[in-house]
Amino acid sequence: MRVKLLLAALSIVTMASQAYADINVGVSLSATGPAASLGIPEKNTFALMPTTIAGQKINYIILDDASDTTKAVTNTKKLISEDKVDAIIGSTITPNSLAMIDVVAEAETPMIAMAASARIIEPMDAKRRWVFKTPQNDAQMAIAITQHMSKAGVKSVAFIGFSDAYGEGWWNEFSKMAEARKIKIVANERYNRADTSVTGQVLKLISANPDAVLIAGSGTPAALPQKSLKERGYKGAIYQTHGVANNDFLRVGGKDVEGTWLPAGPVLVAGQLPDANPLKKAALEYVKKYEAAHGAGSVSTFGAHAWDAGLLLAHAVPAALKKGKPGTKEFRVALRDALETTKELAGAHGMFNMSPSDHLGFDQRAYVMVQIKDGKWKLQQ
Amino acid sequence: MKRRYLILVGFLVLIALGPLILPEFYVTLLNYIGLYAIVALGLVLLTGVGGLTSFGQAAFVGLGAYSTAYLTTASELPVWMAPFGASPWLALLVGLALTAMVALLLGALTLRLSGHYLPLGTIAWGISIYFLFGNLEFLGGHTGITGIPSLSVLGLEVRYGREFYYLIWAMLLVAVWLTQNLLDSREGRAIRALKGGTLMAEAMGVDTARSKTVIFLIAALYACLSGWLYAHLQRFVNPTPFGLHIGIEYLFMAVLGGAAHVWGALLGAGVITILKQWLQDLLPKIFGSSGNFEVIVFGVMMVLMLQRARDGLWPILAKLIPDSAGDRERSSVPHADPLPKKPLLQASEQLLEAKDVVKEFGGLVASNNMSFSVRSGEVLALIGPNGAGKSTMFNCISGVDPATSGKIFFRGEPVEKLNSREIARLGMSRTFQHVRLLPTMSVLENVAIGAHLRGSRGVLSALLHLERAEEQRLKAEAARQIERVGLKEHMFDQAGSLPLGKQRILEIARALAADPVLLLLDEPAAGLRYLEKQALADLLRRLRAEGMGILLVEHDVDFVMGLADRVVVMEFGEKIAEGLPEQVRQDPAVLEAYLGGVE
Amino acid sequence: MDMQIALLLGQDGITNGAIYALLALALVLVFAVTRVIFIPQGEFVTLGALTLANLQAGKTPGTIWLLLGAGAAIAVIDCTISLRTGTIRRIPRILLWSVAYPCGTALLLFLVNPAELPMLAQVVLSLMLIMPLGPMIYRLAFQPVAEASVLVLLIVSVAVHLTLVGLGLLFFGAEGSRTLAFSDATFKFGSILMSGQTVLVLASSALLIAALFWFFERTLYGKALRATAINRTGARLMGISTVMAGRLSFLLAAMIGALSGILIAPIATIYYDTGFLIGLKGFVGAIVGGLASYPVAAAGALLVGLLEAYSSFWASAFKEVLVFTLIIPVLMWRSLTTHHVEQDE
Repeated sequence: MRVKLLLAALSIVTMASQAYADINVGVSLSATGPAASLGIPEKNTFALMPTTIAGQKINYIILDDASDTTKAVTNTKKLISEDKVDAIIGSTITPNSLAMIDVVAEAETPMIAMAASARIIEPMDAKRRWVFKTPQNDAQMAIAITQHMSKAGVKSVAFIGFSDAYGEGWWNEFSKMAEARKIKIVANERYNRADTSVTGQVLKLISANPDAVLIAGSGTPAALPQKSLKERGYKGAIYQTHGVANNDFLRVGGKDVEGTWLPAGPVLVAGQLPDANPLKKAALEYVKKYEAAHGAGSVSTFGAHAWDAGLLLAHAVPAALKKGKPGTKEFRVALRDALETTKELAGAHGMFNMSPSDHLGFDQRAYVMVQIKDGKWKLQQ
Repeated sequence: MKRRYLILVGFLVLIALGPLILPEFYVTLLNYIGLYAIVALGLVLLTGVGGLTSFGQAAFVGLGAYSTAYLTTASELPVWMAPFGASPWLALLVGLALTAMVALLLGALTLRLSGHYLPLGTIAWGISIYFLFGNLEFLGGHTGITGIPSLSVLGLEVRYGREFYYLIWAMLLVAVWLTQNLLDSREGRAIRALKGGTLMAEAMGVDTARSKTVIFLIAALYACLSGWLYAHLQRFVNPTPFGLHIGIEYLFMAVLGGAAHVWGALLGAGVITILKQWLQDLLPKIFGSSGNFEVIVFGVMMVLMLQRARDGLWPILAKLIPDSAGDRERSSVPHADPLPKKPLLQASEQLLEAKDVVKEFGGLVASNNMSFSVRSGEVLALIGPNGAGKSTMFNCISGVDPATSGKIFFRGEPVEKLNSREIARLGMSRTFQHVRLLPTMSVLENVAIGAHLRGSRGVLSALLHLERAEEQRLKAEAARQIERVGLKEHMFDQAGSLPLGKQRILEIARALAADPVLLLLDEPAAGLRYLEKQALADLLRRLRAEGMGILLVEHDVDFVMGLADRVVVMEFGEKIAEGLPEQVRQDPAVLEAYLGGVE
Repeated sequence: MDMQIALLLGQDGITNGAIYALLALALVLVFAVTRVIFIPQGEFVTLGALTLANLQAGKTPGTIWLLLGAGAAIAVIDCTISLRTGTIRRIPRILLWSVAYPCGTALLLFLVNPAELPMLAQVVLSLMLIMPLGPMIYRLAFQPVAEASVLVLLIVSVAVHLTLVGLGLLFFGAEGSRTLAFSDATFKFGSILMSGQTVLVLASSALLIAALFWFFERTLYGKALRATAINRTGARLMGISTVMAGRLSFLLAAMIGALSGILIAPIATIYYDTGFLIGLKGFVGAIVGGLASYPVAAAGALLVGLLEAYSSFWASAFKEVLVFTLIIPVLMWRSLTTHHVEQDE
């Protein structure tokens, strides 16, 4: 008897939620834990997104996965089975996003990842059909760096990266690209995000006497090796990755990070882009919105990945609405199909041109080389 | 009793029906609760029962998860490994074998560590294994391994949450059953005795190092099993779920649920998982944003809960179930054929002989050239003022703290080099000056620890309860000894609830359960009332009449004089007198020692 | 590895080791007096450093809210107890520390612009904010379970750690901070360049250790703490309140933690979650000392610092593996040499 009542109550609840037919987007991101500095600007970004698309109300249900894969999977299952979401955005970091693939593929729900590794969407298979991503593949950024290095005449380079998926991803891509360009890698070191000293690693880098050093870390922790390098008198070029692109890095790095080169999405230097660049408008729109809410100089490129995910959805929803009602399988399938056919959509980070084999769709317009000058990000023209 | 079973059956029915009536997400949560509970169950055994704190269980979960992930996904396995990649079940075997090997190795290294060194040892390996996972390329590094296949059981594919649910919970319930079996057995008593300190357990013949290794191994294997299930449920592994933080969280679950109770593991895993989920739902509604407040509120709630229930939540819940564990046993005083006994002693056989025993503590001589002997059918009393070295002598004889030099013979064999376990096996059994009982166990179970050496069935038969016949005989023997010392009406009471005097008698019953030929009693009359002393003296006389030898260390001179056949008096580590009670009583040296010098 | 690198690594190891040693001392102290394995010790490093960084940036540190909140909670609890037990005369004293002091500090923060203060005043202000949190946490979290088992105290300690890390993220955000250097001077010892900051860390640690030694040996409160550590019941019989001893040890632990944070903040970036790993290294040292011996704990912590520096040079990816594997032989040695029979006194 009780069971029957319970079942009846449940079906009423589910019917009620279907009756509204809002578009529900589930978001799982790393607002706490080791990746919090990436996840927090992403979280803030969702508050800036449009609340209606093509006349339909859109709800973002945001859950924190604490940078933990188990939690990311639990969140995804919850969003799918409890909130009946039409799409998933997340997660912030690569391992979490990889772990979510199976779940979304099983539930046939499109997912847009905000993490860097190309492994999230490659090799394309039956499961990854459902998965898209917005950040540049780390391979693309590695190409940008190695290009710049070989132009600048760098013959030997030393690598130091986070002892986590980020550092590992960069090492894998960068070492391949550097080899292709005949740049010799003379040292490969790791450090932990929260280490208080990297003297050992830095001494080893310096003793290998490289023309340049690449530091693969994200946010303020990437400043520590650079500060130690300067302190030990290293005079060569220093490259960082796009992971450092926020103002906190400049604040903590101070004068020690002057002259640093890094590849970044155009959004970092949106104001300096030539007016002819079709991305300028999209990037500036995001910067303005974010800074209006969180203060001048608060914008970070990570938040822009979330923004781009929102743009992709907003672009795909009208087409999907024609094929089905939100909350139905038809809608999700149509949404996926629409995402896959996105063409020439200007995002804050680049121009999206999706195809069945490429679920990112960025070309070389998605990265620029930036140098830190006078405590500011300067676009290399 | 019936109500208990009804509750259990009801619980099992609920579990069986769960996936049929619950929404998908609740099944997901229950799956994780099951996975966590399997690990926490190991911690109940290891930490709650055995008293060994481990922060490193997550690393064993990782071993289980990674071995199957590697074997079932790697494209180019080394030839000798290739057959194991064929099925996740074979990979499970490999995982369990690997875990067992690692656990035995780590156990050999760290279980020897005393006190607080052990938890640090577990932190050390927890962190090391985590970073190893992250830095080994063939294990997918920090990024992880994708594409782990789903399972199949008897040809049925286990792929979705609801199917996994039955597999996880079946395994969990089997693990609970095995653990309960183990704890309710001879080996289980040995494990539970660890918490009372190794001294008593070893004196009863328990190989404490082995018991520690056993629980460490079982806890590791449970963790490995959980990891294997996790990998196939998640179909992805990377190092984060196996880090130190998660290791601490498992401990958290065990302690909050009630670390001393098997069902506490389940309760703890459930409460913590559901509480976190609930906070994630509730807090954004209060604070308007997600992510920031969950962990803060969670931490505060944990502090408050532990302040209200420091033994965990299970005891509180168990109180709601009307009949307690004791009632179940009370219905039946165990009866079974008696255990084999040692051959009867010859009259007046030389049992114990100490010759020139010296014990030094870093230059301080606590016992100097002590010599005496005990025969069967004799009560020898060792008396002397405080600090005379009586307890030191006692520890030398019982093998707790070996003598620096000198000879000790027991039934003609030299025993001064043996440890207390080996000595116990020869037929010497002792009590302690400061009562060493397991206060939460029943009197019957406490006494049954004494009979440890008279059983032989090992851990495996205990896990499966194949040793019920032997167990029944051990319990019956314990019951006989309890009746013998006159504690029958307390047989099913908690040992800790007895008054001190009765606890001392209980220790004697425990010593007797070992079927000793020589009984070493350390101040058995301390704290006893007059009538109790009378009863004790009667008991000891009876034992003497049966041919047992008794060495008695005692303060109470009146008690000794009425009972002992001979008396040895010690002062400042030396023997100052020996003889019949009347003779010793007249001895001027003794008078001086006791009365502070008669001018 | 040439000589110079060896020396530089040694210097780096000793600098970090000095901080670990301070934390190890605090952990030994807290454990000896209260039997609490104080996992959140590292959080005080974080709170101290980030509070100072916020003051220097002219922001109001979030820790003031923690101080006010914890004070309010204590005021409510203790006043209720006082009213119920009829010890109303204790109320003014309770209110002084749990309400008046936090409010006074808040007012001070409100009145002055902390960024303009001299550095020493900023340090003092940080300590004023952080130190009282020690006894407050003891009062709220540990005092009600003071007699529970070590395991339960440990788990409470983990819960407090989680709460403080969460609060740290809330107050200071996910990105790290550094504070201004106390000194820009550099010293040359042979071929080795030493920054003034490094010298300051070493000198301050040495001074702090000496001060602690003096405190335990010479002052009444120090002796009371030692007595409690040796024999809780005995100390209570002698009129030394366990509550007082507990709060005092937590006050010292908070002070040592915050000072450690303030010392390393100019040479290392501190994040809201840095504390755990630093505290863990201190914990390793403390355990090497058997949670009882101060000198051995300090030596163990220095050893950890050195191991860390050299292994980060040799195999940085496996640094933690090396540090924690190498510590196991030390533990074995300590465990075997300090082995003693459970005495049946």
